[in-house]
Amino acid sequence: MSHIHLPDGVISPVWWVTAWIICLLLILFFARRLKKGGDIRRKIPFIGVVGALMLIFMSIPLGFIPVHLSLAVLCGILAGPELGFTAVFAVNTILSLMGHGGFTTIGLNALIMGGEAVLGSLIFKNLSRRLDALASSVIANIIALALSTALMVLVVSSAVGLTHALPIHDSEGAVENIRFLSLAGWGAVYLIIVLGIITESFITGLIVRFFSKVRPDLLNSAIKN
Amino acid sequence: MHLAAIDYMANNGDSFLHRARPLTKVVISFLFLISLVISNHLYKAAVLLVVTIILIFLSKVNIRQILHLAAYPLVFSLIFAFIRMQQSWVLGVLVLMKALGAALNMLLLLATTPYTDLFGLLSFFLPSVIVDVFLFTYRSLFILLEKLENMVKNIRLRGGFHPSRLFFNLKNLAGAVGVMTIHAFDMSERLYRIYSLRGYEGKIPIDNEWQPPSLADGLLFLFALIVLTGVLIPWNI
Repeated sequence: MSHIHLPDGVISPVWWVTAWIICLLLILFFARRLKKGGDIRRKIPFIGVVGALMLIFMSIPLGFIPVHLSLAVLCGILAGPELGFTAVFAVNTILSLMGHGGFTTIGLNALIMGGEAVLGSLIFKNLSRRLDALASSVIANIIALALSTALMVLVVSSAVGLTHALPIHDSEGAVENIRFLSLAGWGAVYLIIVLGIITESFITGLIVRFFSKVRPDLLNSAIKN
Repeated sequence: MHLAAIDYMANNGDSFLHRARPLTKVVISFLFLISLVISNHLYKAAVLLVVTIILIFLSKVNIRQILHLAAYPLVFSLIFAFIRMQQSWVLGVLVLMKALGAALNMLLLLATTPYTDLFGLLSFFLPSVIVDVFLFTYRSLFILLEKLENMVKNIRLRGGFHPSRLFFNLKNLAGAVGVMTIHAFDMSERLYRIYSLRGYEGKIPIDNEWQPPSLADGLLFLFALIVLTGVLIPWNI
């Protein structure tokens, strides 16, 4: 949901260089833990498959809603925070090689989407002790997506000055007397974001409910890890 | 996604770019990308875009498919271009040119270099486990995409998709995604067993031996350096 399709050359180098450095440090840290953690032969194909799933989920159209799924939270829930983040990094690199998002924005994308997977996984793990799998996954998804989307909007706004897109930014008071629902500027953006979050959370919840019926072992191992 | 087509082009293409060393191509791509990112003049970005298009023609790849893939970033960059156009139309066009140029540059690299060579080069600066993750992701993607296509066909044939019933479609979509996720996890177990039998210990051996650069590699590198220098020089036009 919060994948930035920013092309190269739009974001200020300060942002993308910093994001690349933080992302690479995290990847090196996770790779070291992966090596030390044991059972590496099982984990690496698993991360690969999770990454491939994310790429496929991203290609599923949502009809009239102009966003696409990423199901990063679902992947975080199933794979755990570390493996989820590593899968997100691989996904963003492959996407950028295909022109989907700039190469310079891989770090930013990985941090935002990876943060979604990490946060969603941690919230789900904590909530599932008190609530059922469906409610835990929906709440985890909404919180993680809301935070990552806010971060994405912050990055985009600070980089390209999105306030210029607003119809009222240089004509203060021009729309003061409007009394009806206005779906322009930020109103439209918020509506699309909220629709995207609701749709992705709804689908994640349905998938988790499906798992709890068909393969509860997948969720149980996710909660234990 | 055109992934299969791109993969076919990379493995079966025959041009000077296909024959060049993967390292040379990666270095050239990055020099071009840096040139695009730092170019703040329309004519510089235009020259870089034209050079990339000429290289695409010379590499004899399927131009229609490359352009189709490059259309996505172009569409996504439109919003940023419109925002910048409020300051100046030049800035807006520059955003579009940079987006298209960078996407074409990356697609040219992917369409002329097999993914094993490309990911193999990552092992110079990334741990082997991460390189393996790339290889497994890419390989699994082809298998799962085929499964998804069959699944979508089955859903449509059995009346599981109605254009006007959103919640009905979402419910079926979630079921399909769930089934595919379970298939995918079973596949990862199968991969684990296959690779364990083959002696996999967390590093897929990729031939990364240093080969001396050929004359063509040297010329390509020189050309990319000239382009970068040209971008850095302030021209009086």
